[in-house]
This record gives sequence, structure tokens and C-alpha cells, in this order.
Amino acid sequence: MSKFMNKTNVSPEDPVLQWVTFHLSGETYGVNVMQVQEVLRYSEIAPVPGAPAYVLGIINLRGNVVTVIDTRHRFGLDPGEITDNTRIVIIEAEKHVVGILVDSVAEVVYLRQSEIETAPNIGNDDGAKFIQGVCHKNGELLILIDLNKLLTDDEWADLET
Amino acid sequence: MFSDDQRAVQAYLDDLLAELPSFEPEAKTADLPLAAIRAVPSPNTAPVAKVATKVQVQPRDSHQEALEQVRRQQLQALLDRSPVPQAVTAAPITATPVPLAETVTPVAEAVVEPQVLAATAVQVREDNSWAENGRPLWAQKHFEVLLCRVSGLTLAVPLVALGHIHPLTEQLTPIFGQAEWFMGLQPTPAGQIRVVNTALFVMPERYDPAFVESARYVITIDGLDWGLAIDQVQQPTRLNPEDVTWRGERSKRPWLAGTIKSAMCALLDIPRMGQMLESQDRNRAKASDPLG
Repeated sequence: MSKFMNKTNVSPEDPVLQWVTFHLSGETYGVNVMQVQEVLRYSEIAPVPGAPAYVLGIINLRGNVVTVIDTRHRFGLDPGEITDNTRIVIIEAEKHVVGILVDSVAEVVYLRQSEIETAPNIGNDDGAKFIQGVCHKNGELLILIDLNKLLTDDEWADLET
Repeated sequence: MFSDDQRAVQAYLDDLLAELPSFEPEAKTADLPLAAIRAVPSPNTAPVAKVATKVQVQPRDSHQEALEQVRRQQLQALLDRSPVPQAVTAAPITATPVPLAETVTPVAEAVVEPQVLAATAVQVREDNSWAENGRPLWAQKHFEVLLCRVSGLTLAVPLVALGHIHPLTEQLTPIFGQAEWFMGLQPTPAGQIRVVNTALFVMPERYDPAFVESARYVITIDGLDWGLAIDQVQQPTRLNPEDVTWRGERSKRPWLAGTIKSAMCALLDIPRMGQMLESQDRNRAKASDPLG
């Protein structure tokens, strides 16, 4: 994960990292800006028969087929409606390019590494492994997502097929 | 005629007491120094100030009365400030029993440093042992508890392990992938508080989902960043160890120290609960594991 981090700060002990924030089910999440390739308006997602539940389908991105992951399903959240603000964030993780469906994209925020706190990992739900940390910024709590852990090694490999 | 709340309380206490290997009748409340201080059943929306005014106090020495008055003023001061989404700081509570005079020190803003948190956490764990007389160390002599309402039940929280009282605000942020009883993180001036859905944690079999909407405060465990969501804060009261039916077997509900029949409530073993909560976090367990 560290290889993706944008170390723009001069202080090596406490680098400043940039995060793209988005909303999902009323909460604010952040992903490393270095892993975000682009943000697309919602477009028709073609379902793939036999695909796992966390795969919404595929889209055609300038001639390339990109798998779109159902982020709400992955995080164990209730399904949401598609609105004008719905976006598909194209990300790169574990050498794969995939899209994640979010309610809306907010902004890019700068966070010092020292501002990021360890997230709780309570209970038996494996969903907590997606969370890299949390940070209180501008009056709200950002939940920072480790995109590399969004899928398991096997699941990443399945996307190839 | 009993109300639904009273029936629920009675049924719950009956269940709890049924787990005890032997049950002894409560000490006569008339013998207790503060026996007249009772949890006064109040409407759900009744502020603590009103509850406090209903407390009937029997004649006693002026020193005790003055202390009670100070405690009530402290609590009222906390609650008067609670609607403001700022820090609501309770009287500083030490993790070890202190003389009564020290428990009424003026409310002061607490600056919680991470180092302090760690040091106190250790202290909490060390205090989490029960003496051979079947009582926790913090209850060897008289001790004070804060009565709280949680989804229709009254719970007693020993002040010896109470940290701060913060209002629950819209900033409470749920985190996906956690246990159901984890309500989320509540930002406070002292840092993020991990809020426990007390109703679900304490009585999952009688859980009412409406608690999520009715909970207004979170009381933190001294030295830890864990807090218990509650509906209302009621008055603090002083107990003698004899006022409590201590649990002999605590394997099933380790967080339950005993029951206080005079107040119709359960007494929480907060240090033990704090230890349980800390052990639930796999990230922290991993961090503290020297081999991890």
C-alpha cells in the first residue's frame, strides 16, 4: 500500500497524504488519490451472469472492459438508489483496474499520517479488514479504505477470468 | 399496577437474580446512610434536574448533605452543558477508591494525553479483581454509583470507573463490518469515543431498536476510549457493599457485578466491562501482541 502513497510532504516522519472522499449511505469514505484513475458519471452497467454478488457488472471504458464492484454490498450496507450524484470511481488496486459504485464523490483532502487513527475491528465480520483507518476532519469522520484489501487474492484473480 | 417499564425491570432483575447460586434478602434500607436516595421513576424525557429535586433526603449530618448537594450541582452542570456539541466534562474520577472529600472536587476540563490513557488503562485492568469476600476491590467500602436509564432499565455505574459524559450527536459515525453492539465513533474534544449500544450489549434478548434513536449521552470508561450509550443520567448515589447482592458466578455476564434491589437496578462491573471491550478489538490485540 505504501508504494501508492503520495508523499508530498517534506517530513518523512509524518507525510501528507491525499485522499479522494466519497459518500456512501450517509458516511464519508476516503481512498488514496494515487489509486484513483478517474471518476465517471453513472452509466449503464451490464450485468454478468454467474458473477459474484459483489460484482455489479461491467462497463465499457474507452474500449476497455472494466468490472464494477458493488461497494455497498462489499461493506455490508443496505442497497441504495441510483441518483444524479452516483458515480463510478475507477481505481487501480493489486494491478487491477476496477470501478467502485459510490453515492457521490466529494473532494480531495490532505491528511497527515499522524492524523490517521487505527479503526476498530470488533466482532466477527470480515468487512472491517477493508478499513485502513479513520480520521476526524472538518467536523466529520473519514473512514479510509484500503483498496488493496477490497477483494481477496482469489477474488482479484477471479476478475481476470 | 405496574407500568411496562417496571414489569421489564422486575423481569430482568428476576432473571439476573435467578443466576445467583444463593440469594440473600437485601439489607434493610432504613439502616443505610443514604437509604432515602432512590432512583425515582421518571418520564423518559424528564431531565435529571427534575429527578434530583424529587429525591427525598432523610435528616443526616450537614457534611454528607453538603457533599450530596455538590454532587447534584456537578451533575446538573454537566447536563446543562450537554445540548452544546462541545465537551461535557464530568468530575475527574480516579480509578482507585478515594476518600469522599476527593470525589467532589470541582469539575475541571480534562486533557487526555495518549500516554495518560495507556497508563490509566493498565490501572483499570489491575483494579479488575475481586476480593475473597466476593466483592470487587472498588466496593470494599462504601462507593458511589451513577444511575443511568437504558432502554427502560436503570443501570448503576460505579463512579470509580466513570470517565466523562458526552452528548451523543449527529457526528456519531457507524463503521461497517463491526459487531452489532458497536454504535460507532463519537468525536469529542478528548478524542474519538467508541460507543457501545448498551441496551444491545447488556440485554440482547430484550433489545428494542428504538434505543438507537432515544440514546442521548455516552458515558466513558475511565482511561479507555470506550463509552456506553444511555438514555438519561440520573442522580449519583452512595452505596454500602451490603446494599448490593453480589454475583457469585460471573462467567455468563462478567460485566454484571450484582443487583441493587433498593434501586431496582443492575450494578455494572465497569472495569471488567472495559477489559472485555478492549479484548474485542482485534486490531488492538494485534498491536499489543509482541509476536504479532
